[in-house]
Amino acid sequence: MGSTAETVPPRRRDRRWSRRQLLNATLAAPGAAALLAQEVRAATPPAPSAEVAPLPPPREDDNALLRMQREVQTALRKPIHERRWAMAIDLHRCIGCSACTIACVVENKLPPGVVYRPVIDEEIGEYPHVSRRFLPRPCMQCENPPCVPVCPVKATSRRPDGIVEVDYEACIGCRYCIAACPYGARTADFGEFYTDGTPARQAYETEPSHEYGRSWRRDGKRSPAGNARKCHFCLHRLEAGLLPACVTTCVGYATFFGDVSDPESLIHELAGKRNVVRLKEELGTRPRVFYLT
Amino acid sequence: MSESPESRRTFLKSAALLGGSAAAASQVPGLLARLAPAEAGSYLTPREAYPLARPENILYSVCQQCNTQCGIKVKLEHGVIAKIDGNPYSPWNLMPHLPYRTPVTQAAGVDALLCPKGQAAIQTAYDPYRIVKVLKRAGRRGENRWRSIPFDQAVAEIVEGGLLFKDVPGEEKRKVEGLRDLWVVRDPRVMNELAEDGRKVARKEMTLAGFKARHRERLKHLIDPDHPDLGPKNNQLVFMWGRLKAGRGELVRRFIEAGFGSVNAHGHTTVCQGSLYFTGKAMSEQYVWDAKDRKTKWTRGAKFYWQADQQSAEFIIFVGASPLEANYGPTNRASRIAQRLGDGALKIAVVDPRASKTAAKAWKWVPIKPGGEGAMALGMIRWIIDHARHDARYLTNANKAAARADGEPTWCNAAWLVRIEKGEPGVFLRASDVGLPKEKRVHRDGKTGEETPYEFDPFVVWKDGAPVPVDPYSEKAPVEGELRVKTEINGIAVKSAFELLVETAGAKTVAEWAAQADVKPADIAELAREFTSHGKRAVADIHRGVSQHTNGFYQVFAWYTLNLLIGNYDWKGGLAKATTYDAAGGKTDKIKQPDGTEVAWAQPYSVNTVERRLNPFGISVIRHGDKYEDTTLFRGYPARRPWFPLSSDIYQEIIPSIGDAYPYPAKALFIYMGTPVYSLPAGHTNIEILADPARIPLVVASDIVIGETSMYADYIFPDLSNLERWEFAGSHPNMIWKVQPVRQPVIAPIPEVVKVWGQEMPISLEALLLAIAERLGLPGFGADGFGPGKPFTHPDHLYLRMAANLAAGDRADQALPEASAEEMRIFLESRRQLPKPVFDPERWRQAAGSELWPKVVYVLNRGGRFDDFARGYDGDLLRNRYGTLINLYQEKTARTKNSMTGKYFPGIAAHVPAPTDVLGRTIDDERAGYDLRLITYREVMHTKSRTAANYWLLALLPENSVLMNRRDADRRGLKDGDRIRIHSASNPDGVWDLKNGRSRPIVGRLKVVEGLRPGVIAFSLGHGHWAYGAGDVVIDGQMVKGDPRRGFGVHANAALRVDPVIKNTTLSDLTGGSAVFYDTYVKVTRA
Repeated sequence: MGSTAETVPPRRRDRRWSRRQLLNATLAAPGAAALLAQEVRAATPPAPSAEVAPLPPPREDDNALLRMQREVQTALRKPIHERRWAMAIDLHRCIGCSACTIACVVENKLPPGVVYRPVIDEEIGEYPHVSRRFLPRPCMQCENPPCVPVCPVKATSRRPDGIVEVDYEACIGCRYCIAACPYGARTADFGEFYTDGTPARQAYETEPSHEYGRSWRRDGKRSPAGNARKCHFCLHRLEAGLLPACVTTCVGYATFFGDVSDPESLIHELAGKRNVVRLKEELGTRPRVFYLT
Repeated sequence: MSESPESRRTFLKSAALLGGSAAAASQVPGLLARLAPAEAGSYLTPREAYPLARPENILYSVCQQCNTQCGIKVKLEHGVIAKIDGNPYSPWNLMPHLPYRTPVTQAAGVDALLCPKGQAAIQTAYDPYRIVKVLKRAGRRGENRWRSIPFDQAVAEIVEGGLLFKDVPGEEKRKVEGLRDLWVVRDPRVMNELAEDGRKVARKEMTLAGFKARHRERLKHLIDPDHPDLGPKNNQLVFMWGRLKAGRGELVRRFIEAGFGSVNAHGHTTVCQGSLYFTGKAMSEQYVWDAKDRKTKWTRGAKFYWQADQQSAEFIIFVGASPLEANYGPTNRASRIAQRLGDGALKIAVVDPRASKTAAKAWKWVPIKPGGEGAMALGMIRWIIDHARHDARYLTNANKAAARADGEPTWCNAAWLVRIEKGEPGVFLRASDVGLPKEKRVHRDGKTGEETPYEFDPFVVWKDGAPVPVDPYSEKAPVEGELRVKTEINGIAVKSAFELLVETAGAKTVAEWAAQADVKPADIAELAREFTSHGKRAVADIHRGVSQHTNGFYQVFAWYTLNLLIGNYDWKGGLAKATTYDAAGGKTDKIKQPDGTEVAWAQPYSVNTVERRLNPFGISVIRHGDKYEDTTLFRGYPARRPWFPLSSDIYQEIIPSIGDAYPYPAKALFIYMGTPVYSLPAGHTNIEILADPARIPLVVASDIVIGETSMYADYIFPDLSNLERWEFAGSHPNMIWKVQPVRQPVIAPIPEVVKVWGQEMPISLEALLLAIAERLGLPGFGADGFGPGKPFTHPDHLYLRMAANLAAGDRADQALPEASAEEMRIFLESRRQLPKPVFDPERWRQAAGSELWPKVVYVLNRGGRFDDFARGYDGDLLRNRYGTLINLYQEKTARTKNSMTGKYFPGIAAHVPAPTDVLGRTIDDERAGYDLRLITYREVMHTKSRTAANYWLLALLPENSVLMNRRDADRRGLKDGDRIRIHSASNPDGVWDLKNGRSRPIVGRLKVVEGLRPGVIAFSLGHGHWAYGAGDVVIDGQMVKGDPRRGFGVHANAALRVDPVIKNTTLSDLTGGSAVFYDTYVKVTRA
């Protein structure tokens, strides 16, 4: 069986956005901004603020989600360059429900055609010996990301904590990065709305997304419309002391997350399992997302 | 009743008539005031605090994107839903769920799991195709031409009737009878007298002439004075629903039954898994005192069923069930199963023609022939008994005391002796049959204290060469019986129930049963061995694939009998049942005082108590619960249409029976949150009847959109989505904790606000029924609706009382803590987006009662009441138990006749051939060239008729497909992606006839797969819409274009087999009531 998630057909891009973006790029000097952003973050270790979600006291039988969330909050107390965010996906536990795909779409207010975390559904074998394999495929947050060097305006970069981010103000929507990513982890935002073409565009589509800790109120013209878009491990949630949306919604409890530099963490434990596999390791991308097979 | 100025403004602001969230936006202060704060800033602008983890922006409620009813955590920003996650307090969403007493400030940061449908509910609520005003038909039925009319006018027309459609060609002179014309018997005493004498006529205890003489003045109130047992004209109002839970359930029954006095309030059970419920009912019938009949009889069978405790089972066979995709699986079951499979703690097998996502995780997938499920169970029973791997210790326990002695929570009647007459098993042998004495007993009524002496004639087992009497419920005298008994006592031939099972399963060899199911004999043996290798922690868990056949009842019975062989009921890791906190009230208890005396305790509000209530009587339009032979309509066999003495809520019979005016014509049909046209197999048969005003003079729908069925209504009243309203969602059999999730309004209502009983409320099911009640003056509504000085003039008066019952608990020691000042503040602040017509803290507090109010807040702050994780088990047993007799032999069933053949139904898990028509004749369309079996299934990301508006989900699967095995495709020269048409013997053209010159071909795209049994094709339910925003409609002369995205894919229910005898509905299981999904042969052609 083919993919269930990558079903939104790519459409021809509206030329107006690209021109506007080009203009933006000229005015905004994005490269410098992006660098500066990193520097500032590195220099001010953001101790968990009052805004980090308070959690119930630990209990012996806590779900792993609570353990991992506590580990995220512990990691936030360290300087950013000492955190190494990583994700594990256990394919035995993934039931192919696509809850993660939708959680991500809703959390990040993704428009038609943009998906950060598709789930691939493959059929294996011949009747009657048949099975199915489900593979969620977020951005791999590569340590050696092929998408970064190809960006002509340096709008995409790797943060000290390992998250590969897109500077929406800088991105010109050239889509080089989309072509460069061997995992198909990036998609283009064409400024569309799901409820356009119906009696009324709905308010939920224009409510702000909180990506990168900012309020992005969508109007179809300003960023992130016209940009390349990708998974960022729900950075804005991490900084509020929460796990990525795909982790907390995973119906199979198949997605694990944490600071792999913390030897006490669950993610550290999983990274040492015998059945760890990374996708396309031969490309030398060194993904921070690994699979348990 | 009048519209409020706000609602008019709201309406004018919204786009066309349908402007969904424009209405919401206009009611939310500040929504438009706050724009994006950093319009063109850079990354260096100060970052904003994430607003969605703050308790003030979170409300807990209950999902209804499917009927699993998961807990939800709704996060709002600017009054609009930003995200829906799982409720961490709810056992549906997190394992283990948070302790109930966790402060809401600490739960705010804990997000729990939720399936993709639940998350997409945002798009169900904020659907641009939602209706906000009452629509009245302006063209022929189903023509989809509408006029918006004021709510009050619509209510007045429905109640008073008249030439309501004089503008519609052909209906100029059609006078519609209003509800006032049908509400004829209004005096409870008259109703009771007619009921009693009508019953006497049916039982031939009174002559018809005598009846007529006695009730001369009242004959005009009857549907047919020659058949008084049909009941009064009140019954000609029929109310049918799709999804209805407690709360709205209480409202509907109060309105239809207690207020209007109609027996015709019918649900949809049979289209889901009717025979699962009604086999559960038959297996749970108890032989106890019946207050109404004043004798002991088989009664109190619960319409319910069992599912596996997936939290602790070691081995589960899922038969015709895919809990990772459907069947109340996601989120609750799916998460536990996945987790425990991943931990190596659980092993599963899947018996299903399709390689489902559940099969993908199974140790063994058995691609059974559809309809072979019962044969497979009998094969396993045979193998287990042959190999003596059944739990004989459990099965020999003939009563409660014997079970208790073994530490068994349940017992069954396997050892009881059944009389064999003319070779056929019939009733149980009674003590008096063999010269053993009857017991003298006294029944003491719990309420009145009235004492009635009676004689109890015990059941009998065989032990050590002699008959031994059995009191099933004795706690003092344990009785065990031999299992294999076949003897004669005093000239009476008897067999033990177990012996009957051995004979049934022994009628074929394991290989022959395997052949019947077309599975490998080795599969049967392997599954049977594994099933009997885990003690009580193995379960066969069954669902629609077992029950939705013409023999569904007996297939279900066979699988539950298999479970009886290991006696896994009520055991940890065995079969479980649902347990809920009672919200309807009426439970009583005693409180022990320090001085040793007891004080009576009662739940605060008994919301189903209605002063001067009518007790409706008469045969229902679906002829349920009555035996054909015991009515004045009996004219020999076959009956004109089947009767359903052992089941209820026969969805596929409601509209077709009205169409045939059997047993009588209906005058008005209300359809609430149901779409029989779309959801029933052969649902197209309903269109023809709905479209004909001569057959149903008045059709009123309550719907959130113009749907596949509501498009045939005369009036559509907009309803609230699950995110705008109340309900008490109950539980499911696999949920081992005692719970009661509460659905409550989380966003401003989308439909316009109207005034009913002087109170503002959004148009909704509640407003509709309250307004009709106001106009008619129905008992149970108005200023004294809940008793003198206790009004029922606003929905809150019902729902807050129910919430208060929940807060008080259903036992004296279960009252909840009170919300702290901080929780009270959060409660109010988190509802700031709700306008007064739905949220008025003072109105809520008054309805709940000041004393209970802080406890009610505590419940609502958590989205319901959920027992803590540790309260799931009691040692090796489930804490919430069924705890009584289970019928391996069903005496009541065995003494009930099939209304079409006049033969008794079997009382044991018999092998009943399928598919058959209602006369029990085999249907062999295969021979006529229909060479493929058509089955349906559910993708996890769609629900039958509820997800068409969910664009996020449509993006995952824009179009469903017809699945076909590669070998079948190759043989036909078909390729993946080909468009094919589906034809069946009852729909040879392969078409939906939508009337008014419109039709839709049953055409879909082929998906060639390996994971489907050859000879079977399958399509998933949820796509292929032509209404629900997929088709064009005209409102007030203005065309509203449909959205083609909502109509992609195929909906092939119209190809499912129509019964060849009654011709206007699907095939049915006459015992368990199921509408049949899996017994149709089709052929395909290239489209």
